[in-house]
Amino acid sequence: MEQILTTCGFCSCGCGLYIIRNGNLMTGLCPSLSHPVSSGRLCIKGWNGIPGIRSADRLTAPLVRKQGRLEEVCWEEAISTAASRISQLVSENGERSIGVIGSAKLTNEECYALVKLARDVIGTPNLDSSSRFYDASVNRALIETIGYAASSISDLNSIRNAASIMAVGTNVMEQLPHIGSRIEDAAINGCYVVAVDPRTTRLAPHSANLIHPRPGADLVWVRALVKYVIDHQLYLPEIPETQGFEELRSSLADVEVEKAEELSGVGHGTISALAKLLAENSPLLVTFGLGVMQQADATAIIRGLANLAILLGGSILPLRGQNNAQGACDVGLTWDFLPGHAPFSYEPARRVWEAIWGRELPSEPGLSALGMLRAAESGLLKGLLVFGENLLLSSPNTAATRKALDGLEFLAVADLYLTETAQLADVVFPACSFLEKDGTFTNIERRIQPVRKVLDPIGQSRSDLDIIADLASAVGKKIPRDPMKIMAEIGMGVPFYRLGDDDRKDSTFGRQWVYDSNARKLSAVYPSHSGDHDNHQFQLIASRINYHQQTGTMASRSTILVREYAEPFAELCEADAEMIGARADESVTISSPSGSLVRKLVLNESIPRGCIHVPHYFNGDSPNALASYECDPVSEVPVYKGLSVNVEAVK
Amino acid sequence: MKSGRAYILTKSDAVMFFASLASTMRIIAPRKLVGGDVMFGAVSSPQEICWDYGHDIYPPKRFIFPHFEEMFSYTGDGNIEIRDSGEAPQQAIVGIRSCDVRAVRFQERFFLSQIEDPYFKARLDNTVLFSLVCNKPPRKECFCICCDAGPYLDSGFDVQLTDLGDRFLYEIGSDKGEKVTTQEAYMLKEAGPDDIAKRRKIELEADSLFETTAYIAKAINYISSDEVPPEVWEDLGSTCFRCGACTNLCPVCTCFTVDDLQRLDGSFIRCRSWDSCQYAGFTREASGHNPRPTFGSRVQRRFYHKASYQYIERDGTHGCVGCGRCVTTCLTHLGLPDVVKRIRRAMHNYLEPQQKVSEV
Amino acid sequence: MELTAAKPRKMWGVNVLPTGNLYIPMIAIIDEIVDETPDTKTFRLRLENEEYQESFSWEPGQFVELTVFGAGEAPIGFASSPLERAWFELTVVARGKVTQAMHSLRKGDKVGIRGPFGNCWPLETTKGMDILIVSGGCGSAPLRPAIFYILANRKDYGEFWLLYGARTPQDCVFKCDLTEWSGRPDVKVLQTVDVGDTSWHHRVGVVTTLLNDVQIDPSRTVAMVCGPPIMIKFTILDLIRRGLSEDRIVTSLERYMKCGVGKCGHCCINHVYLCTEGPVFTYQQIKTLPELEF
Repeated sequence: MEQILTTCGFCSCGCGLYIIRNGNLMTGLCPSLSHPVSSGRLCIKGWNGIPGIRSADRLTAPLVRKQGRLEEVCWEEAISTAASRISQLVSENGERSIGVIGSAKLTNEECYALVKLARDVIGTPNLDSSSRFYDASVNRALIETIGYAASSISDLNSIRNAASIMAVGTNVMEQLPHIGSRIEDAAINGCYVVAVDPRTTRLAPHSANLIHPRPGADLVWVRALVKYVIDHQLYLPEIPETQGFEELRSSLADVEVEKAEELSGVGHGTISALAKLLAENSPLLVTFGLGVMQQADATAIIRGLANLAILLGGSILPLRGQNNAQGACDVGLTWDFLPGHAPFSYEPARRVWEAIWGRELPSEPGLSALGMLRAAESGLLKGLLVFGENLLLSSPNTAATRKALDGLEFLAVADLYLTETAQLADVVFPACSFLEKDGTFTNIERRIQPVRKVLDPIGQSRSDLDIIADLASAVGKKIPRDPMKIMAEIGMGVPFYRLGDDDRKDSTFGRQWVYDSNARKLSAVYPSHSGDHDNHQFQLIASRINYHQQTGTMASRSTILVREYAEPFAELCEADAEMIGARADESVTISSPSGSLVRKLVLNESIPRGCIHVPHYFNGDSPNALASYECDPVSEVPVYKGLSVNVEAVK
Repeated sequence: MKSGRAYILTKSDAVMFFASLASTMRIIAPRKLVGGDVMFGAVSSPQEICWDYGHDIYPPKRFIFPHFEEMFSYTGDGNIEIRDSGEAPQQAIVGIRSCDVRAVRFQERFFLSQIEDPYFKARLDNTVLFSLVCNKPPRKECFCICCDAGPYLDSGFDVQLTDLGDRFLYEIGSDKGEKVTTQEAYMLKEAGPDDIAKRRKIELEADSLFETTAYIAKAINYISSDEVPPEVWEDLGSTCFRCGACTNLCPVCTCFTVDDLQRLDGSFIRCRSWDSCQYAGFTREASGHNPRPTFGSRVQRRFYHKASYQYIERDGTHGCVGCGRCVTTCLTHLGLPDVVKRIRRAMHNYLEPQQKVSEV
Repeated sequence: MELTAAKPRKMWGVNVLPTGNLYIPMIAIIDEIVDETPDTKTFRLRLENEEYQESFSWEPGQFVELTVFGAGEAPIGFASSPLERAWFELTVVARGKVTQAMHSLRKGDKVGIRGPFGNCWPLETTKGMDILIVSGGCGSAPLRPAIFYILANRKDYGEFWLLYGARTPQDCVFKCDLTEWSGRPDVKVLQTVDVGDTSWHHRVGVVTTLLNDVQIDPSRTVAMVCGPPIMIKFTILDLIRRGLSEDRIVTSLERYMKCGVGKCGHCCINHVYLCTEGPVFTYQQIKTLPELEF
């Protein structure tokens, strides 16, 4: 009987937990008491999600499509099939005809290996991760303001000492319970918590104020808030000397606070009250979730929120959700950045990596994940490698994405299960879970934590790192398959990932990276260029309930998690239900030009008029199908929030 | 060795004692793990035993009522073959605290009275408990005194050890304790009046150091008579994270779910694992109807089970041993003492509203 | 006369453990399947081991934990005559994972049976009394064994009324039995549906409306009620209004169950474990359970 400490692979809190094993069986699990985040606690996913990762329908052997059907083959055949298809497509159509999409659930080492596979081995600049569909809008916005794309707080426990917290567009109590728990403690200590969200979430019992803007209108009130702070000099004394102040001020010239309050729906007098409250209660923490990150103006809104934090001397905590979203960004698994948060277009950074990899890099970034889907649609992208991501369900407009993926000449997918995406593939690699490999995850506090192998991989499954290394060899250039060697290489170009001498011994809870925070500056925030919503009846409030994670592949195999959620539902307030002639427990159809869903109706008075709340459900039943390829122009994160939809009762 | 009498085992002899015991049974004891956590686990040598641990988070109930337990396996499509997977290794749990021992007795009563649970019985029969008296509260959340479950026990233990400095006071409290001692009896000496006096002194000191203000009795009154209004329960439930940690880590809690899981070779196992009344799906029926649809109704359920006369009648004592784990592990503040306090306050306001205006 | 829901005479499921282990099922074979409605089937089963089947003794109102190998376990009440020794029947509605898997099985397939568990309808203590049975939908399944027993011992009871209601004619179960019983002079059978059609010749309306046509003497009548929760609630309230005392109204409750032996906690209502102290309760007992809000 052994007790092995590892890091949870669900959300970005990165709890330390012990898996108790007897031989190759998991016989128990519990949180680590001394771990700074978990402190002896886990959420419902931590307690119950993990057995579902070893469900009997795990992929146990590689598959290759022959005569239209996926058949089991040996590893050599799967790898060589994939490698030869890739090489063939490259020689016929050039490197840019291949794309690589990884996942922010993979370890840092695997993410970096994918960066090498794409940029170095294959030579394509079309590289991205699942973050493109979730939190990648954080990157550019924070780099241009606080100077690095991560949380400015290093210790989640410091949340308890905040005097004011503004939480925008986040269901933090359900999705990141360890952060929600500390927000609650802060409120008990007298902190003013302001929850800004179209609907009333479980932050309500702890909130001093609830502000309900219209969905999709956050840029309007954020700009008004920043303008108010500037016009009334509520900022810190050293602010006028801060770089970017004048640009910011002049970019807000068009803002009229009262008009903004009306347009965004926050209500008359809200902005001034909010600004004063936040300015007078320092330290301030500004935090935001997918409600902001997946909006049409995500980058601009986040810039505005970061500016606010800088003006008032506060901290900013972007609530990236996936377990290694931070790490994937840090090691460069993203289309527009190189490892270490260096923009791709920044020449000195390219030189560094050209030297490390021993090859030339193009001067402009390639395609983002969304760009790759568009290119697959148009036929420009011929081949796509997907690692650890159920792309079909994360991406918008499921119907169009399915067509795009089907139309590819070659699709290879590495995953734990035969997901909806894997079912479309030409080659399927059985990957193993975070319980079955070594590596590191970087949590939301910038803590690079060890992931330890607890159990043997199921069947013939292998770590994504092994698969990537095999593929790279077969294509023609070696990648190290030892996680320690990979981490050492990352450290060559990413100074804050370099292992110090102290770090070399197996440091229990990992190490945190620190960035030079003197690089703070303010950044202009211009008005939205997306037009008014067309005249659909309803706006969509999409959410996720806390026993569901991302696309639900892992969570749906835990009987306790699935049991929590009887069947898919949608919520309307009573007045709206009456208006469309639907009653509770009857079905409604929610549709947009991209797709439609049928859900059982539940009445909930906290849903604002003109809005319908649709949570994600298991087995592909997801409001993502209603979104289109419209995206935030800077980050290319698709717009999932505030969509216009039609709702009809099913008779 | 007669039970009910006290003996002395020096700490240096204790190493030999447990080493000798290890030849016939596995020794489960607290071990220091990476990062400073202490957890009960099988030790390969008595030197590994961490005697001065504060408290662990993962209760030793799991050695008798495991977190995941395979009950039986079955194979075959035509001819179904069922194989009992029950295991009951001989084991001594050393260093277990009084609260957890009380909890084992509670679970024993629950699992074995009326209808006997075979898996629990088999494991308990092969388990002997060497408990350790708490000279001081292991953690600030401990409130065993309010639950009459510590820091030392007068009965219900197999062997109770008290740390007297360089030696242990060794009390035998059951036939099982006596049987396991007989083999190593030569290492024990009779305890002298000094030893007993030292133990008395430790008892008095410990009594004064422990939290004594949980006042559960009053809450039991209100809960048993169903006087607590729904609004109070809903207010309590409004912050619950529904993680289930309170019931998982509670050494008294016994609820479990049963699933048939498929193995890679195609056979199936029926596995039971800890479940929680705090989950919405705990009572949801196949039709979709859920008798406990709200957070408040589930918090009410937990406290009815822990603190009501009806259960005290069934189980002989109320369902809490004051170990404090639910306080440590709760993401909000629904540990038992916190809820009890809030119920008392809420009822005070509810029954005498003019006395105090408060948001209950 | 003090009347309470009865304990079975022999607790076969709990005290006699043929497999040696409370949790390990016996194997049973499906001999016949009858389609009652689109989502309800009645399975006739017999324990594979003939000795077990011979001594397998159960009473009306009890249930078994049915294992569908590969899917899991679900509690299902006995639905056949307790006097039949060679086989027993279970009526299964396909709602959840296990029951849906059950519906995909064929004649000759094997299932697992643990039990019988639970308590039973009070058929001994009510001898000499008038019996009023009110059942709705597939709620008639747990009552069917009681009906067979009463009819087989007809002279031991007084008047016997059998009221049955379903949503539509297609949802009626045990159609053949109802027809046969309607033909008997010693039992008064009344049927109704919520929504009728051209084939339906009996009443239309909720089952409580049938009570208007029944002249009961509250001092010598016991009512046994089973069906959907709403139907039970309104029927009981109606019977109380007609003067029936609380300990003369008996019903069978339902909850999500797992172990069937009072350990896993799922079926617990307040301090009462449905699987060991129920599922049959008098209204008087139900009133002591605040969670039920009757």
